[in-house]
Amino acid sequence: MRRPMTQAYAGARSADDVMEHVDALYNHARHLTGRDAEAEDLVQETCMRALSAAHTFTGGNFKAWLFRILRNAFIDLHRKRRNEQPLGELDVVDGADDALLRDDLELERLRGVVGGDIEAALAELSPEARAIILLDVEGFTESEIATMLECPAGTVKSRLSRARVLLRRRLKDYARTP
Amino acid sequence: MTKDPHDPIQTALDDALARVPRHRPSADFTRRLRARLTDAPVAAPAPVAPAPRWRWVLAPFGSALAAAAIVVLVARPSPGPAPEWSLADEAVSDHLRVVASPRPPEIESGGIHQVKPWFTGRVDFAPRVAFAGDDEFPLVGGSLGYVRDHKAAVFQFRHRLHAITLLVFPAAGVPWPAGDVTHLGRLSVVEQASRGFSVLLWRDTELGYALISDVNRADLEALAQKMNP
Repeated sequence: MRRPMTQAYAGARSADDVMEHVDALYNHARHLTGRDAEAEDLVQETCMRALSAAHTFTGGNFKAWLFRILRNAFIDLHRKRRNEQPLGELDVVDGADDALLRDDLELERLRGVVGGDIEAALAELSPEARAIILLDVEGFTESEIATMLECPAGTVKSRLSRARVLLRRRLKDYARTP
Repeated sequence: MTKDPHDPIQTALDDALARVPRHRPSADFTRRLRARLTDAPVAAPAPVAPAPRWRWVLAPFGSALAAAAIVVLVARPSPGPAPEWSLADEAVSDHLRVVASPRPPEIESGGIHQVKPWFTGRVDFAPRVAFAGDDEFPLVGGSLGYVRDHKAAVFQFRHRLHAITLLVFPAAGVPWPAGDVTHLGRLSVVEQASRGFSVLLWRDTELGYALISDVNRADLEALAQKMNP
């Protein structure tokens, strides 16, 4: 039996380093997929890919590197399904006008909305819009998200802005006036 | 980011997003994943006893004490032979090697009739695999592996995101496990588990087969039956 796996595991990062971020990976995967079983599949695939490619990690934010792998694994999964929105939907959304959404009630609504409703509203967004909001919530910088999404930092700004407007639109249906 | 910290709407949205529930993986999943990641690398050979530390401890006290200690140590019951490295363990290690490989399969699937001929000249037997893959279990490709230091044909399938490995190898000389036998149609399968993976083992004339994955046992059995209609 060949035993080449030791080389993969002797890379820049170890299984312990990967496991340190499993909770965050799982949370992101669960929001992306909406299902426990698929989130587990996605996280497992991410971790296996990460360890096998550990030698290619050259520094920087290891967590961001893991999230990038998760994103690619998610895209692979998504391609296998044909009944969901395309990942690029966000790019073709017509200009969501922030100002049009403003009204006197929105602030109160946002303050009164509960976590479950926000999660439900997020789930109605396209995977790409959902992902960029969640990556922002996770605390990644623009440049880190840009690396993950393989786009310029300026594009991250505009995509995030549009995604947040779309979320606010969705939240209008969920939010309750306190 | 793009948000104006002085905009109450943006601040309220941030506060709302902070209330989104965080999903946590189950303890069982975390445990299984950790086992897979940390135990995966090497099919460990029989452990080698560490150098006897008592030698260093006893040296300052002279040879008499050392001799007495040796008598005590010799008199202790032996811990027994190291556990034998089983066929299932070996199959799981090969499966993990395939899964963790950064390279694509040595022959990527263009169908079973492309994969099977690839083994000609690479292994000294003709791997008989009747199942060509389908939508549920697509054939991904093939590569070479080793079972008991003999070359094996490796067929890689997938089921959703799960990797499934089929090892085909000459069964002669391979110690066959005496586990519980399950009958799947005409097939008699030894079902084993190693490091959280399911392993199905069966023989067909002179060839041995090992099917390994972390899919649930029923799915793996379904694939085994498709391979042996």
